[in-house]
Amino acid sequence: MHSFFVAALVAAAQGALAAEPPGPPPPGQAAEQKKLEEEIAKELGAAPAPAPGQPGPGAAPAPDAQPAIGGNPYARILMLPDISAIGDFAGTYHNLDVGSLSPRSGAYGAPHELTPHFEELELGLQSVIDPYARADIFISFSPGGVDVEEAYLTTLALPAGFQVRAGKFLSPFGRLNQQHPHVWDFVDAPLAMDRLLSADSLKGPGLDVAWLAPLPWFVELHLAGQTAQPSFIEEDRRTLVARLQQFFDVGDGATLGVGLSGARIQEPLAGASRQLGGVDLMLKIRPVNTRSYVVFQGELFTRRMSGTEEAGTATGGYLQAVFRDGPFYAYGLRGELAPAVVAGTTLVQPGSGTERRLSALVEWLPSEFQRLRAQVAWDHLPDGHDGFEGTLHLEFVIGAHGAHPF
Amino acid sequence: MTILHSARALGAPHLRLAATALAALLSLLPARTAAALNVVTTTEGLAGLAKEAGGDKVQVQSLSRGIQDPHFVDANPALAVKLRGADLLVDVGLDLEIGWLPPLVNQSRNAEIQPNGPRRFTAASVIHVLDVPTGPVDRSMGDLHPAGNPHFMDDPRAAVAVVAGLARKLSQLDPANAATYAQRSADFQRRIDADLARWKAAFAPLRGRPIVAQHQTMSYFLEWTGLRAAGYLEPKPGVPPPPSHLADLVQIVKAQGAKAILVENYYDTRSAEVVSHHTGAKVVLIPGDVGGLPGTGTYESYLDTLVRLVAGAVR
Repeated sequence: MHSFFVAALVAAAQGALAAEPPGPPPPGQAAEQKKLEEEIAKELGAAPAPAPGQPGPGAAPAPDAQPAIGGNPYARILMLPDISAIGDFAGTYHNLDVGSLSPRSGAYGAPHELTPHFEELELGLQSVIDPYARADIFISFSPGGVDVEEAYLTTLALPAGFQVRAGKFLSPFGRLNQQHPHVWDFVDAPLAMDRLLSADSLKGPGLDVAWLAPLPWFVELHLAGQTAQPSFIEEDRRTLVARLQQFFDVGDGATLGVGLSGARIQEPLAGASRQLGGVDLMLKIRPVNTRSYVVFQGELFTRRMSGTEEAGTATGGYLQAVFRDGPFYAYGLRGELAPAVVAGTTLVQPGSGTERRLSALVEWLPSEFQRLRAQVAWDHLPDGHDGFEGTLHLEFVIGAHGAHPF
Repeated sequence: MTILHSARALGAPHLRLAATALAALLSLLPARTAAALNVVTTTEGLAGLAKEAGGDKVQVQSLSRGIQDPHFVDANPALAVKLRGADLLVDVGLDLEIGWLPPLVNQSRNAEIQPNGPRRFTAASVIHVLDVPTGPVDRSMGDLHPAGNPHFMDDPRAAVAVVAGLARKLSQLDPANAATYAQRSADFQRRIDADLARWKAAFAPLRGRPIVAQHQTMSYFLEWTGLRAAGYLEPKPGVPPPPSHLADLVQIVKAQGAKAILVENYYDTRSAEVVSHHTGAKVVLIPGDVGGLPGTGTYESYLDTLVRLVAGAVR
């Protein structure tokens, strides 16, 4: 209380001082001062400062309103990139030993235990670099550590419909793989994507060349070369990705997206190979004068391996429907087929059977900047095990986060 | 020789078919016509103004429709295709399109329509912007526009300024037709001046009358018509009203005798109807922009309709 009072007094005194700025010294005193300054300068061997009122060539007298530095005092702030942070937290309950029977990227705890999770904090820095390119940087803080999820430059001014991304980026494969988890409708990735593509999104440093075909609908062809870590492998592998992506307007307020993806990922063993294929479909129906919509989306992933212990072809995918009911609510249903793993491992082998999962989602968005989701799932393993899963998920965003692609 | 050989191998009919298919495909390509500038606008209102400025010297298409909430347009890549061949992109600005336009512009490969690019015209740059926050802004204040209020299409003076700005921009891009653009801009101003006198006359006896709006979407309109907002349905922009807010609003509407609750026709009307039910004030569904209601295909018809609806309800 006392110190606050003193501080207030000091502030008031300073205010009073500020209100009556000291005027210029009288002329006689000023001449004396100047003389003394010159004397000191001579003693120090430095040139005296130019007398006030005699500005150098080109200098404009600053009007009173202008700050001492001239121009806009907020220039530094104006030059800052868009900064955002997105937090993801979950509480889970599983009655199955997910870790050993159904390995995945989504959050889970010990069986029959309600477990809170800190999933991720994503820091985004986004800005144009210059008139020719922009940069998007996403740093992911998670219990596993800090990872540069993406950091890439995108060209803006290449001719003939070309656009190049260089740096570290999510591989242009499929639909969900190219989206950050906080953009996904459901709280976790489809199991087939984890097991056939990558359990932490297929991504890595490299170059992505995209060509927008000069056609009246959206046709984009991607060719990317990067190093990436395929499913459950913590080692960078040389990866080539190709993708053809198309979007069509089908009637008033409906859009159809179709994508074909393929990837070839290097295997360290001589004669071994890993090839991935993917088909993705999306149909969004939104009457233009509402904020409600329905999206049907599905992806099929297939992986062909040879010369490794996982040799053979494995296939899986998901099909989902999401109904956004106005600004504040959404509901979703997802069905999945995924190749099951050999129990206790992350290996997908021929004959390990098919895992089936059905998920239902309820979502509440108090505003555009946070959402609370409840997802329940029923997981059926080929050996007859049934798993119930419940997840409560919270997500928020602060700051200026760039709009997401469609 | 090899080509000839393969032509024979393919057979002439195949070749002809391939040539026809190629020709058909090429005819689909978006060709930059020398005759008209390809102007793409973010909203139908801006499209209307671009037509006023450009006439038959421009070909105008809008990325969204007047019946749509311009904050929540989908960043559909099909729209990026429209932007690829744009000679000029006209946007509202003040972050109205922040949720969907930037990714489309980036996908378009059209470097010149980037912000500050030579083929970009941001309408807000030429108007007097209202509701510019003077203090710190954060999202506890709702989903407000930190740069100022972007809903200026219902202000004819802003429309005149935008058409004049567009005429200057079009003249830079197409100097051969500069005189036409200047003439059209002057004509538009003359017409709007006459309209404005008429519209203002309709509101003259209604000066100071209170209305209720969704949020501050009507600031510009209220300023030139002399009406005033008794209150807003949303306590903060984009924040749904709790019953307590609506109860307060009912008291305010009753106390001040507000007769009209103005709601852009892309908003949900439940809150408005509740207030209407308890007060007798009339819910008036207004067009949010040019094209927002049947018969509002031009700027003047849009404003005529707006004036008629509002003046009719407030009287």
